[in-house]
Amino acid sequence: MAKTYDAVVIGAGLGGLSAATRLARKGRRVLLLEKHNVPGGYATSFVRGRFEFEVALHELSGLGGPDRPGGLYHYLDRLGVAEKIEIARIPGFYRSVFPDLDLRLPVGRKAYEQTLCDAFPNEAKGIRQFLKRIFSLNEELNFFYRLSLSRQLPGAADLVRLPLNIGNALRYSLSTWGSVLNRDVKDPKARAVLSQIWGYFGLPPAKISYLYFAMAMASYIEHGPTYIKGRSQALSQAFVQAFEDNGGEVRFNSAAVKILTKGGRVAGVITQDGDEIPTRCVISNLDPISTCRDLVGADKTPDSFWRRVRSCSVGASSFNVYLGLAAPAEKLGLADHETFVNADYNLDAHYKAMKTLDAPGSIAVTCYNAVWPEASPPGTAIVVLTALMYGEPWRRVAPADYVSTKNRIAAAMLDVAERVIPNLRRHAEVVEVSTPVTNMRFAGQLGGSIYGFDQPPGEAAFFRLPHWGPLGGLYFAGAWTPPGGGFEPAILSGRIAADVAAARTRVEKGAGHAR
Amino acid sequence: MPASIFDAFRDFSQYARTFYGWRTIRRPGMGVDFRADEYREQAKRMVEALHPARMRLRVIRVIQEAPSTKTFRLVRVDGPLPPFRAGQYINLYVDFQGVLTSRPFSISSPPGRDYLDLTARGLKRGFVSPYLAANIHVGDSLDASGPAGSFYHEPLIDGDDLVFLAGGSGITPFMSMIREQAEKGWPLQIALLYGSRDPHDVIFADELAELAKTTPRFRYCLQISDPPKNWRGPKGFLDAALLRNEIGAPDGKTFYLCGPNAMYDFCLPELAKFGAPRHKIKRELYGPPADVARHVGWPAHLSPTAEFQVRVGDRVIPAIAGEPLINSLERHGIVVPAVCRSGECSACRTKLIEGRVYMPPTAGVREADRQFGYIHACVAFPLTDLVVAV
Repeated sequence: MAKTYDAVVIGAGLGGLSAATRLARKGRRVLLLEKHNVPGGYATSFVRGRFEFEVALHELSGLGGPDRPGGLYHYLDRLGVAEKIEIARIPGFYRSVFPDLDLRLPVGRKAYEQTLCDAFPNEAKGIRQFLKRIFSLNEELNFFYRLSLSRQLPGAADLVRLPLNIGNALRYSLSTWGSVLNRDVKDPKARAVLSQIWGYFGLPPAKISYLYFAMAMASYIEHGPTYIKGRSQALSQAFVQAFEDNGGEVRFNSAAVKILTKGGRVAGVITQDGDEIPTRCVISNLDPISTCRDLVGADKTPDSFWRRVRSCSVGASSFNVYLGLAAPAEKLGLADHETFVNADYNLDAHYKAMKTLDAPGSIAVTCYNAVWPEASPPGTAIVVLTALMYGEPWRRVAPADYVSTKNRIAAAMLDVAERVIPNLRRHAEVVEVSTPVTNMRFAGQLGGSIYGFDQPPGEAAFFRLPHWGPLGGLYFAGAWTPPGGGFEPAILSGRIAADVAAARTRVEKGAGHAR
Repeated sequence: MPASIFDAFRDFSQYARTFYGWRTIRRPGMGVDFRADEYREQAKRMVEALHPARMRLRVIRVIQEAPSTKTFRLVRVDGPLPPFRAGQYINLYVDFQGVLTSRPFSISSPPGRDYLDLTARGLKRGFVSPYLAANIHVGDSLDASGPAGSFYHEPLIDGDDLVFLAGGSGITPFMSMIREQAEKGWPLQIALLYGSRDPHDVIFADELAELAKTTPRFRYCLQISDPPKNWRGPKGFLDAALLRNEIGAPDGKTFYLCGPNAMYDFCLPELAKFGAPRHKIKRELYGPPADVARHVGWPAHLSPTAEFQVRVGDRVIPAIAGEPLINSLERHGIVVPAVCRSGECSACRTKLIEGRVYMPPTAGVREADRQFGYIHACVAFPLTDLVVAV
């Protein structure tokens, strides 16, 4: 008889790795299937010549460090992952460049606030109020989080205080970032600088959920962004190691091609090699649409699921230009880890451009050597240009035009980057360009999406598609489910998915295969 | 404050609006129906058109290019050919003498045709090339990977003044680039310095000489390294003096090298002498090193013929120190995924549980992989007994 597992996790992205490792730590027998030959999904790296590039990670939130750990650090620590990685704090938050403005934003609430107030003295009052709101919201959510994690039932006093203590969360949970910001801050320049990291979330201020943006913003300002030495590949590998240390089994080059069902619940998984693996629990790190459409089958998935996802839209993908430079970072004046270069203050126009094949309106210029000098060999530097872009328009690009299309966009991005790094092209030893199709190729997500579904207020945070799937025994982990898109949220999503799955299959645990 | 009461009302009214919105948008006919056919394996289909993992090819023509060398013209039978960039290669998977193995071959035809040309020299030392030369005929089928590799002209940074240094069968990727230029009317300026051993066995010699006559944008210089006694043509190596004579100064040029590893050992110092900046030199990786025991990092006492035991699961197989691990595995029927077989693509990433291997400095192994004990089996040479997980 074939070997059975308590759970099969499909996809070794951060959500899948997190879910698999947590379940394994709970003593479940878990099989992790990954179609690629390396773990990590978007948390991987690749080598070109003497350079090793980070695929996607810019700044990791919520980690802090051993000295002042954030929530994510505690979680990784308990899984046995934190001890295997080395964390570097990123000294600055971001640098924001507009045609008539160049501002470096620091970490730390006071310093961040002061820098903004100095730059926009007329808006000082509104900026203070806006940031205060973000931090009180953050406190409320932490309170709510602690309450929900507590093993005791909340006391009567807590229950009475609850609505008062989470007033902001209740009030703003369905507002957009822009609607709250615009009330406090009137200057469009100040608004744009405050909203600069919208690229980390995929929707412009006018569309993105306030709750989600504010949570991430508070985490970044308070704990500061971090970077992992050895690149995010080290994090993914540390997960695999921790997973295997806890008895987990991982198979690379092994895509799941079918989820078997029996009587409306999960019965097993078939891999690309034709292996049939019986299991009563599947956690899918693949997007929920493809999971149900292609693995379960559209007709085997209840109509209620297809009704539910009618209000969802597939989120943005990314376009990257990776550059290995034959000159040290200091010589090129690359002192900042993350620089956003914007064509103008019209963020809505930048968003519209994401749905076309036009040159992007704003790009991120990331130099990993600024925070980790050993990111490339001595005398060299790595710079990555990133723009958000939807996968949809790439469906209309004929295969024969693919290279010229991507080179046209890459050339436009290089022009923009040369505004902050003169002669960038002349120093380049290696260049590689990735598109939404590249993301689809290696991560397999619908639309090459990097943040899962778009995150307007009604589809973000608590209102996002839940972890439990439409079939008994089917769960989702990753950016498509709460808390949402991003490295930290994806890891937390895996944690929640594992907990939900474990709670629901408690009764079946250990039946027939005690370890 | 009235304003804030009004604001608060507006914020809470969001709930009503959103829930009403949900009820509307989630009705049939509204929102997105993800059951529609366009979402069926959408990502997979988009990727397939550009980067198929596997292709089934059929030989439609065999051309004798030179006494030792044949070109195989291939069409794809399981779908349209994906696009490729002149200079890229495909990996051919073959089952020869009961061994499932593979070898990468640069495409020698220009992009945009409905076929691919692979040009293979039947080297005596080789394993797959002689097999192709002797056993593959018109009508036969072959399995291959999709086009891969980063050895091509990159307009974003490479400029339009190129110098190609080719050694022997290393001419094949250049042939694709040169033919593409000829078709496009030479937007790039190219100088080809081509080193070959035997003047009577030069691949593409006539076609290159003809092309050089048609345009001043293409310069062609053939060097014979090992001429017969009565040879009167050009002879010598691709050295700094030749570079100075043929192309003058290195400024503004990008240099491309493709040929056996011995050629790199010779040409790279010559290019440095000539003054070519390191970051303007691109080299195609050309399989695993043939003489790994002469590498600086190789342990002095270890003979390349030393034999070790490799444990894979519950099997134990012998492996020779001087041969890539992947070859030993394949010889015993253990198939490791592979594409470039030169250490750079990471398809053959393998977990090393116990033991030590030597990998050349050109192996593109991720730092985290080194840290957590993964090797690229195609360029990993055993230095001890090993335990690996495939």
